[in-house]
Formats: sequence, C-alpha cells, structure tokens
Amino acid sequence: MTTYTEEYRELVAETPRGAVTAAFREEVAAVVSPGGLISEPAQLHTYECDGLTGYRVTPALVVLPATTEEVAAVVRLCARHRIPFVARGAGTGLSGGALPVADGIVIGLARMRKMLSVDVDNQRAVVQPGVTNAGISAAVGGHDLYFAPDPSSQIVCTIGGNVAENSGGAHCLKYGFTTNHVLALTFVTPDGDVVTLGGDSTDQLGPDLRAVVLGSEGTLGIVTEITVRLLRRPEAVRTLVADFPDAEQAGNAVSDLVAAGIVPAAVEMLDELAIEACEKAVQAGYTLGSPAALVVELDGVEAEVEEEFERVQEICRRNASTHIRIAGDPVERAKVWKGRKAAFAAMGRISPDYFVQDGVIPRTKLGSTLTRIREMSDAAGLRVANVFHAGDGNLHPLVLYDAAVPGQAEQAEHLATAIVELCVEQGGSITGEHGVGSDKACSMVKMFGPDDLTVMARIRAAFDPQGLCNPGKVLPTPRLCGERPGPYRPHPLESAGIIERL
Amino acid sequence: MTLVNSTSVAVERPESVTEAADLLRGTDGPLLFRGAGTKQAWAGRPVEPALVVETGRLSSVLAYNPADMTVAVGAGMPLRDLQDLLGEKGQWLALDPSTESAGATVGGLLGTGDSGPRRLRYGALRDLVIGVTLVLSDGTVARGGGTVIKNVAGYDLPKLLYGSLGTLGLVAEVVLRLHPRPAATATATVQVPVDEAGELALRLAASPLEPAAVDWGDVDGGLLAVRFEGTPAGVEGRRSAAGELLGGAAGVEWRTGADEETVWQRLAEGHRPEEEETLAVAGTLPGRTADVAWALSEAAEASGVRTALASRPALGLHTARFAGAPAAVGAAVTAWRERVLAMGGSVLLRDRPAAVDAEVDAVGPPPSSVGLLRSLHRRLDPHGRCAPGRLGSWLPHPAPGEDRDRS
Repeated sequence: MTTYTEEYRELVAETPRGAVTAAFREEVAAVVSPGGLISEPAQLHTYECDGLTGYRVTPALVVLPATTEEVAAVVRLCARHRIPFVARGAGTGLSGGALPVADGIVIGLARMRKMLSVDVDNQRAVVQPGVTNAGISAAVGGHDLYFAPDPSSQIVCTIGGNVAENSGGAHCLKYGFTTNHVLALTFVTPDGDVVTLGGDSTDQLGPDLRAVVLGSEGTLGIVTEITVRLLRRPEAVRTLVADFPDAEQAGNAVSDLVAAGIVPAAVEMLDELAIEACEKAVQAGYTLGSPAALVVELDGVEAEVEEEFERVQEICRRNASTHIRIAGDPVERAKVWKGRKAAFAAMGRISPDYFVQDGVIPRTKLGSTLTRIREMSDAAGLRVANVFHAGDGNLHPLVLYDAAVPGQAEQAEHLATAIVELCVEQGGSITGEHGVGSDKACSMVKMFGPDDLTVMARIRAAFDPQGLCNPGKVLPTPRLCGERPGPYRPHPLESAGIIERL
Repeated sequence: MTLVNSTSVAVERPESVTEAADLLRGTDGPLLFRGAGTKQAWAGRPVEPALVVETGRLSSVLAYNPADMTVAVGAGMPLRDLQDLLGEKGQWLALDPSTESAGATVGGLLGTGDSGPRRLRYGALRDLVIGVTLVLSDGTVARGGGTVIKNVAGYDLPKLLYGSLGTLGLVAEVVLRLHPRPAATATATVQVPVDEAGELALRLAASPLEPAAVDWGDVDGGLLAVRFEGTPAGVEGRRSAAGELLGGAAGVEWRTGADEETVWQRLAEGHRPEEEETLAVAGTLPGRTADVAWALSEAAEASGVRTALASRPALGLHTARFAGAPAAVGAAVTAWRERVLAMGGSVLLRDRPAAVDAEVDAVGPPPSSVGLLRSLHRRLDPHGRCAPGRLGSWLPHPAPGEDRDRS
C-alpha cells in the first residue's frame, strides 16, 4: 500500500527558501519595537527546543513582536524572503510543535501578554496569546468566572499555545477542549494579512475556519488575539480517591459510572508505580501499594452533586474498592490534584529516564489494552507506569529506562512507539492532547490513509502555499520519516518544580 | 439508481461511500447534496445542479458502543431515528433542532449548523462531532477526526464542515459524541417582553443554576421558558432559587411532563418557516438581545412588513420572520442585517419565497477571512462544483456553460 499520494508529495515538497542575512535582520529590526530581536548565539540556544527536549534546532533569529501589526510585518518579511517561521508561546509543548527550523526564525509571543478586555455580562474575555492559561481564570475569578480548559502546565503555558494545540486537561471530559471555549481569533495569515475568524456569535456563515485553525499546531498562521468563553464557577465540587485491587476493577467502576448516566468533571486513574512515584515526590496521601486508584471529581448544582456523589461511592464499593478517601475541603482537594498532576515529573524519583506517550483508546478497551501493555512491558523487560484520563480513554504510559545502560533508550523508545500503535489498532488516536508536532508526524500514517493526508495537505496549502509556517509539524515529511527523537529530558522549569506535566 | 425529474436533473442515491465517490469522480457539472431537504433554501440559492446526490441510503448505524458513548452513522440518518435508537440505551445526541420532526438528517444538520434550545448546555453539533468522512467533488474520500472523544491528531476536518452548507464536499459519514438522557427535567415559564427576557438570561448565566435552555418567544404576549435538567434532586433543588431569580413566585409557572413538552413545541414554532415567510437568524453577544429586537421593529416599520422574533437570549441567537411584499421584505432583511453586523453579529438568511431572492443579497458583505475561504474552497473543490451560489458572492461560481477551470 502506498503511504503517500503523488499529490501529497508535491504539496509538502520543500520549496526553495531564503536565508536569514544581515540585511533581513535589519529589515526585521525596523518593524519590531526595541528589545524585540534576539540574535546572540547564547540566547538563541534558549529557544532550541520546547518541552520535548530530545529534539533541538537552533533558530537563526528570534523575534519578539509586541503587537498584531508587528507580527504581521515580520510575517510579511518572511513571506517576501521565503524564510520559515515558527510561533512559540511558553515552550511547554510536549510534541516538539515549537521546534525551530534551521535557517528559520522563531516568533515568540511572550511580550504580548495583556488581558485586553473582560465582558462579565457576556462571559467572555479578549486576551493576547502570551497570557497564561491560569492567568485568565485568575483575572476573572472575582466575578465567579473561569476559563475551563486546564492543561497541567496551566501555570506557565499560554493561551496562544493552548489554541495551537487545542489543549485539554483533566476536566475536558465534561467541559471539552480549547476549541469549545474559543469564540474568535485575530489571525495573521502566512501572507501577513490580518483577519478575524469567528466573532461575537457562536455561529458564522460558511465553513468554520476558526475550528480548523484551533489545534493546527501553528502550521496555518499566527493567532494574535483570542476571544475566550468564560464559565460560571460551579456551585459545588466534590472529590474522592478510591483504591482498587487492580486496574480492571477500577476500569469497571468507570464503566458503571458511565452506565449510571453520571458525567463526572474528571476521572483519573493511577497505577501502583505511578502512585509510588507521586507519593515519593509530593506525599499527597495516596495509598502506597494500592494496585490502582481512581480520582473522581463531580461539580455542578449542589443538590445534584450531593446525590451523584453518593452514587459514585456506592459504585466504587460495588467494584471492590478497598478504601475511599473523600477530600473534605478545598485544601484537601488541591492536595489530591497536586499528587495527580505531579505524576509525570515524579517519575524521576523511581527511574533515571522515561518516555511519555499520549495515546487514546475507546474507554471500554481499557482493561484489554492495559493487559497488552503489561505483556509488552514484561517482554521488553522495562517498567511502564500508567496514568490516565480514564473517563475519556486518554492514556499516558510512562516507559521507564536508564539511558546509562547501553541500548536501553532505543528499547524504551521502541516500546513507547509500539504502545501508541496499539492504541490506534484499538480504534483510538496517537494523541489526545499533546499534539502531533515533530514527535508524532511520522505516526500520522498509522492513523490516516494516503487520501486523508492529501486532504490535510490541501488545507495546509490553502493557508500557506509557500510552506513557510511551522514546516515539518503535524504532516509527515516523507524524506524524514524514519528518524527518531532522543530520550526525554525534563524542561528546566519542570526540574525547578515550577511546572508539571500531564 | 438514477431518477430524472422534469427539468432533467439527475438524482442519485448512493448506497456506500465508494459508490458516492465513484459517482462524483465520474461526473461533471454542478452538484447539490441533499439529506431530508429541510434547509435547501438556506443562504444563497445554488444554480441548477447537473446532479443531486441524496444521502437517504447512507443512513445505517456504522458502529454504536453505548459504553463508549459514541456512535458512527451514515450522514443520511434522520436525527429522530437516531434518537429512538439511542433512547433504548438511555442516551441521546444532545441536539434538539426544530427540523428534527421534519426528518432532518445528521449530515444535513452538520452542514447547516442547525441547533435547538438545549445547545445552551450541550453545545452545537460543532461540539458533538468527533469524526467525519468527506467525499470531495473529484471523488477523493477523506476521513478526519476519529472515533474517540479525545483526539488532536491532524486538522479538525469535522468541525471545519460545520456550517459549510455543502460547499466543500459531500458529508458521507459522521461520528458523534453522546450524552446520558437526563433523569429529570422541569421548565419555569414567565411572561415577559423580549428586553426583560434578555436581562433575565444574563442573570441566569451569572447564577450557578446551569439552565439547559433559555428561550423567549412571541407567545401569549411574550413567554420566557427556562429548562433545568439532571437528577430529580438536582432539578427540584433549583426551584426556589430559579423562581426567585425569575421575579418571585407570582409570575412563575413550573411545567413538567406533557405540559412542559407543549411549551417547548410552541416555542419551536417560532423558529420554523411558514408558507410565504422569510426567515433569518442573527447571532450576537447575549447582551444585545433587546438591541436586536429593537432593530427588527425599526426595520419592519420602515419597510411596512410584518415581523416576529423568537430568541435564545442566553446564546445570543435570534430568529426573525418577515412577511410582506418581496421588495419590502428584502429591504427589511437588509436593514436588519446591517444593524446586526454593525453590532458585531452575523446573519444567516434561511427559508424565503423565491420572489424575495431578487430583493436581497443572500449572504451580505464578505468577512475579512473571505480570502482564506476562497483559497480553501479552491483546494477542496477546484472546479467549484459543490452547490455553486450557496455562499453567493463569497465564492466564485461560474454560470453553467462557462469554463469551470477558470474558477
């Protein structure tokens, strides 16, 4: 079977590119406000990777525009001189979506971090792309409003990055993803035109261009203003942690919740290894040695939450839960979530190195998939810790290894890839929330056929016929597929404990 | 099977995606895609097609696993049939458009972006679609999205097609996210004029009551209906706070059972066209409800036409109906649309008598993104075969007989 159509190969073929010359630098310097240009080699190194630290490319130039007009002016120069450009937010992405292109420039949106307006009555805010995810909720919390998508890196990751990746988070089971919470975008096209996608109304006439830009991982243009929908804070929130004798019983409990018509705000599962790592890192009160734990959170109207919370506990007990811990107050709840969100970074406590995956399976295949993962893990002689968004089947298997042991990194990487491919075989996806980026572009062929990819390449070419806008991401470059990333290394902010993953 | 009607327009009803693809690949000339045909008049009037492709036989359930709360269906599946099937498992597609009773299909609903009152709680079909199979006019079959709810691999083709009105290709299969049917529901009604309804909608949104629907219609002199659903205790537990917010016990009536359904059916009437009426739907900020209503009465007065409004004030979606002489209706629609656009909204012209077509630009002025739209359209439908004319001046559409390659 062919992997790529001829049309696809032509659409993604690299076009002749210009070079970042001294003259180009001067032209760029003339259109951005002071402090907006980084060209010192030592400083450029800061931008050589995002949260996927195994891939590194030093850009030729980094530009930090301060306004939409400056972004447009820089993009116009890139278009005219055929210079590839990569937009970047906080650089916390886990799929290499902000990996620079050699001889290209990085357009950092970090200086554009104003909340432009908040409309309390209409429950929306207009923000610049460099505002952090948590910053939005913090700014509107006084009005009992919040921004629902909550990726675990929310303290530092930016809304611009969330738009690019269509970020989710633990609570997207009930509330949806970034695409469900963005009403309008100010968008700089790869030609440097400034247009509006979406608007005041939830519906616009004609195909939903805003929807295709959301989650396009910076390959269709640069978003410079975002109108987000805000939600009223729920009246009540209840959280519990239930221990189970094995993952299958925990999985059955989730199935029973669904069958009972309960839509929890979040349902998370941790296995024994993940619990061990978390407890070593943050002592959040999970039961050491428990083979599986579920975190279940309900929110909504008080009377309803109380009624359903009782049923959740019954369902857990019916599925042989050995212990149920109820978070009695917001402090306790925060502790539970701290443990859950620390799971990823905590792996350092039990293993020198690890790869993380982001596969999705139909939730009902959880039990059989976990069994397969365990078999694969045993066969490879490598430990795999499991943390999932159990409600929506999004798995984050962490393949643990020691890079100091010759050959183990390759073995671990092979196992990690096999797990993702297993997810696709089960009818799932290669990525639930981390994005395709550079990391999984070559795996796109596992999920999509030649014609599917051709149509995606047509969409991309419609926005960016010159192929300058974040090239090499999302869509596989036939020439490059076969190359593999290096091992995971923690982001500096992660090591410092400022951000977490998952 | 090929049916040829009196004006020699061929009608085909493919039974599989492959058959549909062969059909499009093997023909040329303008195409029209049709589900139940409940919204053929929306937006611009397409040129006479050489071929109509009906989705009536692409209507099977392709996969339904209740425990995963997803279903994959052929695009021609009527929503009401799907709801019957899902209802057996205590689930539903959380969508309640007024065209459901007329047989509206899942594919048609996605292509038109139609929705109903409970969009407030569950979102539109845009928020519920997770996968799609699209057949392009050159016969290319493309799948986008997937079969799992959480998935960010590749461009979001399913949502791109939301509201595309059949201009990019034939939606052949759709994968959807489902919800549990709520165990209990109750509706509070209160008689208020539209401006007051707008105010109450904002107060409801600011409260933690989480209404499932907030609708106002020109019924009994102005009726606001607020639906709550969830568990029995959850619905019961909201009553006193909701009653207080809506203006005290005096004016508030609670309705359940058949009485409740009757209210919602009456309100749905306001969103359906009657013979010889023209319908247009405006989307605005929720807080502009009174302004939209005011703009409509001014346009009606200036043009001498009769108008009526039905509004979903918490969503900022408002259906206006116009009746009168075609020229006057055209003038009223144009005037109202100008006002709505000036306040940052959007307007979709829906059903109208043919005579009104000559009196109004069906789509209005193009948005700033029209260049991207044209570029995308050129890549997906290079010969401009898909419903040429539907998006009026926004997309190029050569007259029949013109060299299609020039588009």
